[in-house]
This record gives sequence, structure tokens and C-alpha cells, in this order.
Amino acid sequence: MDRREFIKACSVVLLMQAFAGCRRVTLDTSSSMPSLEDFVNEVKMAASRSKPGFDLVQIPMPSALKQSGASPLNRFGMAIDLDACNGCGKCILACMQENNIPLSSKERRAAGQFMHWIEMRGGTPSMCFHCGDAPCEKVCPTGAATHTPDGLSTMMYKRCTGSRFCGANCPVGARKFNYDDAVKEGLSRRFNSEVPLRSKGVMEKCSLCLQRLQDHKYSHMAQFPGNEWRGTGVETACAGACPKHAIIFGNWLDPASPLVKAAKRKNIYAPAEVAALDPSVVYLRGNR
Amino acid sequence: MKYLVAGFLALLCGFFLADLVFRQKMPELQPMAQIPFDHSLHGDSIGLDCSHCHGGSHFQSRAHMPSKKDCLDCHRLPLTEKPGIEKLDSLLALSGEFPWNHKNILPEHVVFHHGLHYAAGVQCSDCHRPLDGADYRGGLARGKPYSMQMCVDCHARKTFGEKDFKPAAVYCGACHR
Repeated sequence: MDRREFIKACSVVLLMQAFAGCRRVTLDTSSSMPSLEDFVNEVKMAASRSKPGFDLVQIPMPSALKQSGASPLNRFGMAIDLDACNGCGKCILACMQENNIPLSSKERRAAGQFMHWIEMRGGTPSMCFHCGDAPCEKVCPTGAATHTPDGLSTMMYKRCTGSRFCGANCPVGARKFNYDDAVKEGLSRRFNSEVPLRSKGVMEKCSLCLQRLQDHKYSHMAQFPGNEWRGTGVETACAGACPKHAIIFGNWLDPASPLVKAAKRKNIYAPAEVAALDPSVVYLRGNR
Repeated sequence: MKYLVAGFLALLCGFFLADLVFRQKMPELQPMAQIPFDHSLHGDSIGLDCSHCHGGSHFQSRAHMPSKKDCLDCHRLPLTEKPGIEKLDSLLALSGEFPWNHKNILPEHVVFHHGLHYAAGVQCSDCHRPLDGADYRGGLARGKPYSMQMCVDCHARKTFGEKDFKPAAVYCGACHR
């Protein structure tokens, strides 16, 4: 190669680089968004690997919380009608879409670990039982796991430092830990703009669709100042998605609530692990 | 030497060509961005409430920025003799349906319902009042950036003692999700 060809080649290379540098889109397409089908498939996979069921014991109907500062008007909860539920798993998908729950990586799926807030146990859905006397909240070192006066066991993600004490102290393993950075790994999809995505190292679990209750409550209070709010008309994503109407959301302290009406007709059960912890989420079975 | 110059020229042409082909469009500036909007000319001085332009500020969660139609409610008519008014009218005619760019600074894990606070008797200016002489923009409450401490202080009745607000919720789940 002579001097002339060398300089020519250098110019060409530089030109190409100049072109490449001015491209508007980068070549990196690694962080793609998962499709809805990916979520559907993961739910099917999880539902097919149902964990063993709970030992259920009969409990009385949940009443007002015993903690100080608890609301005398509202205690939100849910009932899952075991006579109606056929274990289709539609509630899991609806929950993922409502709460922007990420997919799990291949390795975690292989180990049977999913981020789903609702799991199939013995063919029926189970989630956080929102215990009135919640053992998870007692061990949180940062105060990220707290109880609201209206009976929700809530997680404040920005406060969570990921000690995982709460997960270890939950008798039913309802809490899920973000071992991976789901957003960075392209496992997350923002279906619902109203719910923040969780970052790596944060514990999460069923919130009883806290965002729906908050939105409804504050709209109500703004429109009808001074009027009592009982959460009438709110339902969780899973309850709304259940084709058999087997999941019933409502207010335990409101006799007009569909939850109380349904629970009065049936026997109320809770897993033996949480039966003594005053759970807000219960199972219904057998007509009374 | 000749080839070096030729190579350099080719490179220069290459850059220009690349710029021509791959030029990134400047984000289109809304025409109204050229107008120094002054809240003091639009508020109490002409008998307008905040909610007239910022729809939703009294009853909804968010106080929205006005649309072009809101501006045109008044600006259809030649309103003043001021020299700037013609420029304003022409730019308003040019602008899109939503003439104002606004970035919401409320973090996504925080719930703030404007209507709820209005119903509790909180005035817009309690949180959005600027320092003396300054206009409202800039995302500042009384000259300071918004912070959770401001919310908590008022909710726990440490501030606004003269206003006699009712004590408000201070548990985490009230305002965070």
C-alpha cells in the first residue's frame, strides 16, 4: 500500500464513522418491552405448578381492627369463594396488568419463583391476607411495611432497603423480593401508568389495589366534602377479572358491602398459619 | 500533501453530508413560549379564579394547563391597546391545541389530589404563592422547592396555624403508593 492509498483508506474510514455517529437511532435494541403474550404464558406456567393448598380453619367474620387509630367505618378485605373458583388464573394476569408486576428471568422461572402477587395454592388463588396483626410489619427495620387505618397492609417502596425480614416473617410467603432489576432487563411493562415500577432490592406484595382505593376516596372527598366514604363501588383488579365472581372485594364494616353479604351466607375460613392474626382476606366455603 | 488536503476536504464534506442527511430536528418550540405570561395580569386583577384556566384545580386530582380554547375565551377579542397584544394574537393563532409545555414534578409514588385540598379549604396560593414580585412558575412553593416535609408540616398542623385547617392524615398509605 502506498501513501496515497493509505490516506484514501483513512478518509473513507473517517467518513463512515462520521455517518455512523450521526445516526438518530442506536443499534442497541436489547431492552425491548415484553408483549402481553409473554405475561399470559408466564401466568399459565405458574398456574400449572400450583403449590400445595392450605389447611383451612373456620374463623368468625372480621370486625374492626384492634389497633389504635383504626377507622371505625372502613376495613377493606376480600373473600375468595372456593365453591365458585375453578382456578383459571385470570386473576393473576389482571393483577399483573393492574400493578405492573414484572416477568421473572428464565432461571427464576425454572426454580418456580415468580413475582406474581397472586399464587395458586391447591388450585385456588392466594395472596397477602392483610393480617390485622401483621407479623411482617413488626420486623420492618425502616417502617416501609405499615398498616393503614382502613385495614390495608401497605408497602412504601421508597422506604424499603431490602432487608427481607418481612418476607422471612410472613407465615404464608406472600411477599416477593425484586432480586433483579426488571426494568433494566426488559422484564417490566408499564400497563398501568398510575402504579410506580419497583426497583431492584425492594419487597412487594398484594396492596389490595391501594391506588384504586386512594383515587376513589379522594375523588369522593373532593366532590362530597363531609360525606362519609365507605369505598362503595371499588373493587380490586382480580375481583373484576374473575369470570365466576369468586373473588369479592368490600368493606367488612359496611353491612351493605357485597363482601359482608356474601360472607353472611357462607362459612368463613382462613389458613391455619394466619387464622390467629386477624386476616382481612378470607376464603368462603359451604352454605351456612 | 495534495492527498492530505483532499482527504481533509472529503472528510469535511462528509460531515456536512452526514449533517444534511441525519440532521435531528430541533424540538418544535411552541409559539407561545415566546410570550412572557404574567399571572398578575390574569388573576384577581380581572376577576379570574385559578380554576378558570387550570381546569380541575378545584375538583379533580390534577390542575391542568390551559388549552388554546381557554386562552381564546378572552383573547378572541382585542383586549388592550398594549403594543405586545398583536404579537400575542398572531402567536396564539399559530399555536397548537395545547400551547403550554408543562412537566409534572410530582413523583409517581406520591398521590396529591388538588380537589381534596380545595374542599378542605386550602387555597391555591397557600402552596403556589411565589416570593414577593415573582410569578407563579418554576415549581416552587413560597420560593422553596416542594418537599415532603412541607406536606407533613401542614398535615400535622405545624404550619398554617392561623388558617385553622383540620388535622389531616399522616400515615404513609394516605399519600404514597
